[in-house]
Amino acid sequence: MAEDRPAFVFPAFISDYREDPARDIPAFNDVFQSFLKTAAACTYEELLSFNPVSNPLIENELLNQYLSYIYGCSCARVLLNSGVIPGMMAGYSMGIYAALFIAGSISFETGMLFIQKAYGAIRNTLPHHHYGMCGVIGLSEKDIREIVLNSNLNLMIVNRNSEFSFILAGDSFHINVFILKAREEGALHARSLGVTIPYHTNNLTEAADEFSETVFTADVHSPVIPVISVLNQRRIDSVDCIREEVVKNIHTPFNWLATQKEMFSQGIGIFTECGPSMALYKNSKFISGSGKFVKWDSLFKK
Amino acid sequence: MQHLFFGNIEEKYNFAKNTIMAKITENTRNEVRETVFAFFAEECEADKSQIKDSTNIIKDLDGDSLMFLELIEIFKKKYNLDIELKTIGKYAVKHPVETIGQLIEMQLLIIEHENRLLELDK
Repeated sequence: MAEDRPAFVFPAFISDYREDPARDIPAFNDVFQSFLKTAAACTYEELLSFNPVSNPLIENELLNQYLSYIYGCSCARVLLNSGVIPGMMAGYSMGIYAALFIAGSISFETGMLFIQKAYGAIRNTLPHHHYGMCGVIGLSEKDIREIVLNSNLNLMIVNRNSEFSFILAGDSFHINVFILKAREEGALHARSLGVTIPYHTNNLTEAADEFSETVFTADVHSPVIPVISVLNQRRIDSVDCIREEVVKNIHTPFNWLATQKEMFSQGIGIFTECGPSMALYKNSKFISGSGKFVKWDSLFKK
Repeated sequence: MQHLFFGNIEEKYNFAKNTIMAKITENTRNEVRETVFAFFAEECEADKSQIKDSTNIIKDLDGDSLMFLELIEIFKKKYNLDIELKTIGKYAVKHPVETIGQLIEMQLLIIEHENRLLELDK
């Protein structure tokens, strides 16, 4: 049953590379290189030049998403191959694609295609490039809404990571104003996320429409491993649900705090972040009763 | 004027809470110190004996604001502190913390003054 199994959670972006998992798990490199070659063949050859130290490819928003997907799929595949079967999964923002691949709902190539087409649709439809996102820690939702309202900022709270940790998105100038105001108000941390797309805002409604043409013609199957929606915390258990989730995920705010709590309430006691960084791992410490978070390579069964 | 011996129990409690500062004993100081050192040794996978008062949290330990928040939460629970995070944030803007020693001193001030921390600057 689910309670005996860990939850796999997948990040959307890579902020840094913790350490080389191939050092302790030689099988990781074979799986990763295999996915990397497939990814390069269906998108950018430049991916083959990836090196976590000398060429991490995290500055480019699109390549970063590809690598996060490839890395997440690789971690999860290595765990599956070693006999670690997740009881549940969730994808943080665009991490949904890796969760759906591991759940058997889409092929690896379809996941790459979704990333490519979503990004392309966003670039085609956004009226300008002056957008951004920021993270703020230490203020309540009420404090944040007051800053946005009182300063007349065109920003949305697009995710709640924990009780005092939020992500906002919108106009980049307004993001910068918000960061200054948030610090004045006593935020322990407020900084830009270094992206130029206001993910999960209604600025991307048109992009979602364009993207839906790809999603609704793609080969999609019901998941064989439960996947939890970060938008409404329900199980994404049918083909229709998957298509709807993938499209809405582009332009709808989500709630990571509620998602992790929901998985916990369904009996999940162990969580692992399938990715090279530890952002979700660190964040989990502020979610009361959210179970134990472990590094993915520590679950590997030799 | 409020008086300690009038009003209901809750008012008396609040009056006392707002009037009496926690006393920082040598024991508290050692406890805070030990907690901070053990916390960073574990979080940053560092050798505890290598952590000094002068250790820079970001440059030497690769620490971050989430760790700072986690530490605050630990002390809030341990000492049952009544303090808003944004009060600490406002104080930290004027008194930035870079080293382990500075962090320990700030935690002691938080324990001592709680939500009246900003009054130290008046």
